[in-house]
Amino acid sequence: MEPIIRVDHLVQKMGRKTFLNDLSFEVMPGECFGVFGTRGTGKTTLVHILAGVDRFTSGEVEILGTNIRKSEKYKRDLGLLTQERSLFLDMSVYENLDFIAALKNAPRKNIEEMIERFELRELLKEPITVLDTIGTYQRLALACALVNQPKLLIVDEVIKDIDLYSRRLIIKELKQYLADGGTLVCAFSNIAMSHYMTRVGWLENMKMIIYTSETALAEWKKQEELYTE
Amino acid sequence: MIKQSLAIMKRELFYMWRDKGMRNIMLFGPLLGLLLFAGVYSYQRVGDIPTAIVDLDHSSASRQVVMGLENAKDLKVVAYPETYDELEKLIHKGDAIVGIVIPENYGKDVDLRRQTKIAVMIDGTNMAYATNATTAVLTVTRTLGAEAGIKTLIAQGIEPDQAKEAYQSIEFREEAWFNPTLNYAYFLVLAFALNMWQQFSTLASCMNVVGEKGFGSWIQIKASGISRLKLFFNKSLVHIFVIMLIVLPIYFFAFVVFKLPLASSWSMLLLFTFAFAVALHSLGTLMSSIFSNAINASRFGMVVALPSFVISGFTWPLEAMPQWFQPIAWILPQTWFFQGINYLSFKNPGWEFISHYLLILGLMAVLFYSLAALAARLREKAFR
Repeated sequence: MEPIIRVDHLVQKMGRKTFLNDLSFEVMPGECFGVFGTRGTGKTTLVHILAGVDRFTSGEVEILGTNIRKSEKYKRDLGLLTQERSLFLDMSVYENLDFIAALKNAPRKNIEEMIERFELRELLKEPITVLDTIGTYQRLALACALVNQPKLLIVDEVIKDIDLYSRRLIIKELKQYLADGGTLVCAFSNIAMSHYMTRVGWLENMKMIIYTSETALAEWKKQEELYTE
Repeated sequence: MIKQSLAIMKRELFYMWRDKGMRNIMLFGPLLGLLLFAGVYSYQRVGDIPTAIVDLDHSSASRQVVMGLENAKDLKVVAYPETYDELEKLIHKGDAIVGIVIPENYGKDVDLRRQTKIAVMIDGTNMAYATNATTAVLTVTRTLGAEAGIKTLIAQGIEPDQAKEAYQSIEFREEAWFNPTLNYAYFLVLAFALNMWQQFSTLASCMNVVGEKGFGSWIQIKASGISRLKLFFNKSLVHIFVIMLIVLPIYFFAFVVFKLPLASSWSMLLLFTFAFAVALHSLGTLMSSIFSNAINASRFGMVVALPSFVISGFTWPLEAMPQWFQPIAWILPQTWFFQGINYLSFKNPGWEFISHYLLILGLMAVLFYSLAALAARLREKAFR
């Protein structure tokens, strides 16, 4: 089986600062791969590289069989939810769904489906700048990320600091996405999230070590005890 | 493909419409400018120039001069000061623009056919006033000079008819073509309004690239995989459409309501304006690609747009600018536009002439858009 993501000796430098140094890993179809790290360890940097938002210094990255330096074709099968607010602030909830669907060449029926699944019906005309909670915003952001029914979904801190109702809904939909055969890369900084992951790529000191969810939890505990002493 | 393009265009149109500040400036700014300028220049020419006459002679000959000046077109005698000092004060205070001093013994000197001088002082602080005042005074002095000459010839024994003929044998008849009444409104109102329009349009164009990249939503666009060419082409189409849409009411009010002259056909005018809109937008897009944020792009856009009208040679001839500066002026689309508008509104220069302008504006657009694409690419590489 071909990997959905293949990262080979990836290096990311900006000026003199190195953010990622010689990362190599693969993500297989149907996997829920976690990118874990504390603040400033390069999770968002890696997510942006995988989503083709940022270029990288050296190495090779293949997504869905495409070398992402050479082609952007893979993006039609990609969904992205960013940590920062990246939806169109000048548009309403519906307009965001509609516009992103158009950008991704997604059929209109998918918009309706997303509205239902993420319970956005009451909010459609609202400008997104006035959405009352982060959770509501994240529901919309995930709906936008899924509107093209992507084969690969990349999410960055999707349920951090959000209300429990939205959290439940988002987790339910992510599970459904995986159950339908999708592949998920999820960046997170709360180790408790790791039990949702098939494997966890732990970012520290510009490097990545791959753990299973259990060993990642155990490693966190070990380090916690070490630093408590 | 078309669905994507339409979505981008719709979004851009909504975006421009929802930006209340930009919308109001773009929609009403140039139009209000036109109305304002039309009001300012409603008298169409400078007349009733305040004039003060000091008659130190009080002879019948000097009274004739005073009468000539009183009847002169465009001059309005507002004061008859007794002394030169009083006259000087009036000009200093701005109560008089033209001051005339008829010297003592003026009548006597004329009678004795001696040379005599009438002093004419003109306040040069306002160019429009000064130029018109000079013309008005010249008309009177020329007539007076001729009359004095005829009298001299008669006194020398030449028949009055012959004397008159001698002075009228060469007639310099002035004819101002294209703007026969030298109407200021015809010359300036449309140009000033179009100047505002081009400034606001430059400002909007400066947001083309950097405005998009400045938002977090740029991530969504990048992650969607849509080509930058398609994105900015469609955005640009909307910008140019809006720029053209805004100029239409200006032209309507200028040519239909205020009846300013339009020598060329509407179709040629609109085609020429369209070519300029594209060239102007390309220049704005170039600035938008060079600068890292919207504020700097718009600042620099204004640095170019604000003086471009003066540089264009519309109000001050290009030929009267330093030799080295003239090629710089011709780099700007605004120079071609304002020169072209002058031709189209007054002269109808014909397709052959204007096609040259269209070609230049088209080439400018190709050059500026290409440079914009190159700058954007280099910028992106620099951030890798």
